[in-house]
Amino acid sequence: MAEYFVARGLPVPAELSQNPLTHWRRLVVIALSLGVVYIGLRITKIDLSSANPEYAAGVIGQLFHWDFSILTPRDEFETFWDTAEGQMIVTIFLGIIATVFAIIVALPLSFLGARNIMTGNVLTGGIYVVVRLVFTIIRSIDVLIVVIIFGVLLGIGSAAGVLALAFHNVGVLGKLYSEAIEGIDPGPLEAITATGANRVQVIWTAVLPQIVNPYISFTIYRLDTNVRLAPILGLVGGGGIGILLFQSVNLLQYGAAGLIIFMIVVTVALMDFASAQIRRRLV
Amino acid sequence: MLAIQDLVKVYPSGTRAVNGVSLEIQRGEFVVLIGLSGSGKSSLLRCINRLVEPTSGRVVFDGADVTRASRAELRRIRRRIGMVFQQFNLVRRGSVLSNTLAGRLGYRPAWRTILGRPLREDVAAAFENLGRVGIADKAFARADALSGGQQQRVGIARALMQHPDLMLADEPVASLDPATSHSVMKYLEEINKKDGITVICSLHFLSLARRYGTRVIALKAGAVAFDGRPDAIDERRFKEIYGEDAVEVEIGPERSQPQPMSATEAALAALASDPDLGGIADR
Repeated sequence: MAEYFVARGLPVPAELSQNPLTHWRRLVVIALSLGVVYIGLRITKIDLSSANPEYAAGVIGQLFHWDFSILTPRDEFETFWDTAEGQMIVTIFLGIIATVFAIIVALPLSFLGARNIMTGNVLTGGIYVVVRLVFTIIRSIDVLIVVIIFGVLLGIGSAAGVLALAFHNVGVLGKLYSEAIEGIDPGPLEAITATGANRVQVIWTAVLPQIVNPYISFTIYRLDTNVRLAPILGLVGGGGIGILLFQSVNLLQYGAAGLIIFMIVVTVALMDFASAQIRRRLV
Repeated sequence: MLAIQDLVKVYPSGTRAVNGVSLEIQRGEFVVLIGLSGSGKSSLLRCINRLVEPTSGRVVFDGADVTRASRAELRRIRRRIGMVFQQFNLVRRGSVLSNTLAGRLGYRPAWRTILGRPLREDVAAAFENLGRVGIADKAFARADALSGGQQQRVGIARALMQHPDLMLADEPVASLDPATSHSVMKYLEEINKKDGITVICSLHFLSLARRYGTRVIALKAGAVAFDGRPDAIDERRFKEIYGEDAVEVEIGPERSQPQPMSATEAALAALASDPDLGGIADR
């Protein structure tokens, strides 16, 4: 390795003789990682001694012993919408409605959160900073925490679930939309501005055509995510099939719970597939 | 018709792109701006229609002080100044027709843009102008489906829609091959001679400057280094403008060539002829 330098009488660079595997920086990183794991295991007190393998095996068996009675109304007071498949459909629509609410708020805000639109003067620059900060704060609150808070504020049910999901998605979609605007080609903006067009015309003619596809793509991605999240909302009081799942687990009806989990898995897989297909065609 | 007085542009980074330029440009002139990359050609052109805000100095266009104009006044001035760009700056996903119609935006209210209802007379004028640059048959094609030379012709048609008195061209042929360069330059020459539109055009090739310009202005470090007739640039002046090591290169004679290759074709041709890759395009 060092022949090149030795033959020319040059000093051999220190980098050549170093072994990256034993470099002190790498050793420090490894030591720190092991330390974190050790401390974590000590203070979290992970303890499997209360687990009962035979009981667990029984429950798993019951989860696959599906109780199909939840697919039909139990008595004359219940309708299709009280059945598991009815609640599954309700849950999908909870995700859709939450997405629509989020779009309505995030779409106009995203323009205020795009640096290339808002540069120019101190006022618009300030609005940009505030809008992006709000998006970041909203996103940093996990959706489950938002549902719990909205459940307290609005009462447990679909309203809390949908609005909480929508709230969280304003932060996510707002950021994605704003970044889509920041990523556009500035050339057409310059050219349209040069024709004497006003700001609205510049946005309409030069910005919108460039962001339509990314917006649709991001929206479908979030719709997909929201429909996946919707069943979980019920567990913390947000309405939908999650409530049925929660109830059946509490009532030890594992056959019903297993079937509901299976329905959620199928729905999510279908959403995932459909979303990927649509997004692939857009790009 | 255009007077520039002590124009200075200092970017926030501290770069003095334009350093005290004063010029008088008469109606009907074909002014070619030359100079090294970074000599301030683009900044100077953009200061004329205030796509770039000058730091100090004055630009007076037909008696109107551009540098002091309010936003509304500036838009009225801009619509009489057409501009074409090195990267064409078309809305790539839009049709050729809609890109051409964008040249009328400064004359029409924003609601017409939002409703997407251009005036009949504007559409007729768009076909007229596309016909002038020989691409009326491409009106409904997507802009990015066109070759570079064709896209630049759309850029010229868009600028013509403004009924400009002045045409700014920022390296309009720098992204084009020699044969296409001449075809684009000829359209600029035609609108200068037939329509009496004053042209200010920055170019990289001195041979093109000599062939098309009635006046050549050379910039060096943001200041005017030469201003005179194209044939007055001899070996000595050339070295003054471009530096001692510079050698003049010819862009090649005018000749009719088949349609220029698309970017993909050109890339494939380059790959195929690259000995290291061994004709990967054939596989």
